[in-house]
Amino acid sequence: MNDIAFILIVFFLVCASVEPEDGRSQVIPRSEKNEDQQTSQSTEVGLTPAIVTIDGTPYQLGEFQPRIRQILSRKKTEAERVVVLKSQADVPYQHWIAMTEIIERAGGIVTLLIEEEQTIQIN
Amino acid sequence: MILRRKTIEATVPSMAMGDIAFLLLIFIVLLARARDESHLVWQPATGTELVKPVNKNASVVIDKQNVAYLNGRPVQLENLAAELKPLLGNLPAGSRTVLFKVHKDVIAEFFEPAIEAVSKAGGELHHVLEPAPNPSAPR
Repeated sequence: MNDIAFILIVFFLVCASVEPEDGRSQVIPRSEKNEDQQTSQSTEVGLTPAIVTIDGTPYQLGEFQPRIRQILSRKKTEAERVVVLKSQADVPYQHWIAMTEIIERAGGIVTLLIEEEQTIQIN
Repeated sequence: MILRRKTIEATVPSMAMGDIAFLLLIFIVLLARARDESHLVWQPATGTELVKPVNKNASVVIDKQNVAYLNGRPVQLENLAAELKPLLGNLPAGSRTVLFKVHKDVIAEFFEPAIEAVSKAGGELHHVLEPAPNPSAPR
């Protein structure tokens, strides 16, 4: 009985310790490079929980995929295919992952545009 | 009259061995759990065409409470890049994978700085996701 209990415990432990690792790899260019790339003709995508903007034009979530594919299909070089992603602070990770997946499938290279808060003290 | 000397057998009580093994096992498990991430509460976002990471050098988790962890240890987002750099060392490109496990409802305010930190440290992101449910599957 002891042996059976022992083997059962080991079995359950092995089952419990298997953590999920499947997912999607993403190459985010280093921030030093971003500045050079942003000066070229990159596309800017704005992300909010409800709508997506491409270069300032708003699109419903359903319209985004065909539009970004169309835009990126015209881009020839890697630098042109850089998509600068600017997310609102309240965009959930699930939504962000879905949108970046669409951009990458369309051939885009995602870079992030993160706003930094600065406090300026005026005397 | 011949008196035979009493022989005393020294045996290991076999019944107790199971209990000892059981306690040892619990002890080892507790030690191991203190080092891994299984105690962190996070639910992966969904994705399609998922792949296994080629290698893994570090793991960043942002749990349900928006708290960031590096290899199971709480870390401030401001210090994440600095703490990741020694873990990645001088590994060549393609071998600098950082597992990125974020709870699906965490907002950009918390996960984007973490992505930036991984990028700054020269890490290669691997978003850990779960397969999206197949809409054509029977319910």
